[in-house]
Amino acid sequence: MTLGRVIAMGMAAVGLIGGIMLSTSTPRAQAAATAQTKRVQVTGEVIETWCSVSAIMYAYGTAHHQCAVWCTAGGIPVSLKDKSGAFYLILKIEEDDSNIANPRLATFMSHEVTVDGDLIERDGVKYLLVTKVFDDKGVVNLTHEQNGIVPFGN
Amino acid sequence: MIKTVRFSTVFAALVWCSVGVSGPARAADEYGIANEKVVQFEVKVVDIACQLTGNCPANCGGGKRQLGLVTPDGKLRLPVKGQTLFANAIPDLLPYCGKSVMVDGLLIENPVMTIVHVQNLRETADQKWTPTEAFEADWTKKNGKAEEWQRADPLVKAVIAADGVYGIRGLEPPKK
Repeated sequence: MTLGRVIAMGMAAVGLIGGIMLSTSTPRAQAAATAQTKRVQVTGEVIETWCSVSAIMYAYGTAHHQCAVWCTAGGIPVSLKDKSGAFYLILKIEEDDSNIANPRLATFMSHEVTVDGDLIERDGVKYLLVTKVFDDKGVVNLTHEQNGIVPFGN
Repeated sequence: MIKTVRFSTVFAALVWCSVGVSGPARAADEYGIANEKVVQFEVKVVDIACQLTGNCPANCGGGKRQLGLVTPDGKLRLPVKGQTLFANAIPDLLPYCGKSVMVDGLLIENPVMTIVHVQNLRETADQKWTPTEAFEADWTKKNGKAEEWQRADPLVKAVIAADGVYGIRGLEPPKK
């Protein structure tokens, strides 16, 4: 067998293996190749995204808890705001990949939590796929004495 | 003659201005939010998680998943609010899963997160804009009429009944 023939057979084998890998890869693996994912741990307050990002009203802690639950039930996305002020939009929580009016997310509103997850940044949004909720301190941001209940007062 | 010409010129200018400035189409209401911009663009409606991870259930998750708007320049935009109080425009956008629709709203490019307040939709430029109010109609069909959907919603009632309006069991606002 000539050297050229050995090289040609090797190249054919590599091509065949590559073809099999491509044809059997999952859609997730294909997407992962285009979206850059980073493992992160984030600690912060669970917030609703509209009032907090727009700053249309005071949107944190006990003062805004009721509104945060309303907005979650209304399908407004839920985010996590860390101590540096960065916002992470929660797309998935552990095994549950529904993120509209999700009952588990509704019970987390205004809580301080620490989570592990996969971060994907795209066009001005940090998307977070939470893989594990490590710690849930409950609602610790006591803002109602200064702000009352926002909106509509007590 | 001169007066006639001047009047017609002014009239024409006024007509041109009214069409040129406001256009024949409705423009979104401004809120005075920092970094907001009135936008009208044709978008493709997508399931965001599908777009980012390849995990793609049928019909963009059937209303259980956040939807995204892919603009003509390829940007993925995040709609967070429709016209119903305290609600997003997901029920308005879901019928367009995988399809194109024209959006009228506010693009808010806050450095912490870029979001879209979707105020109106239409399929073609010659149609009237439809306000994004499907959430309340769908909610009423499912739960019956309520003065304020947000206080009558079963999920809200369960969460508030368990932990109170402040989210801390036993901590209640002063009685009126």
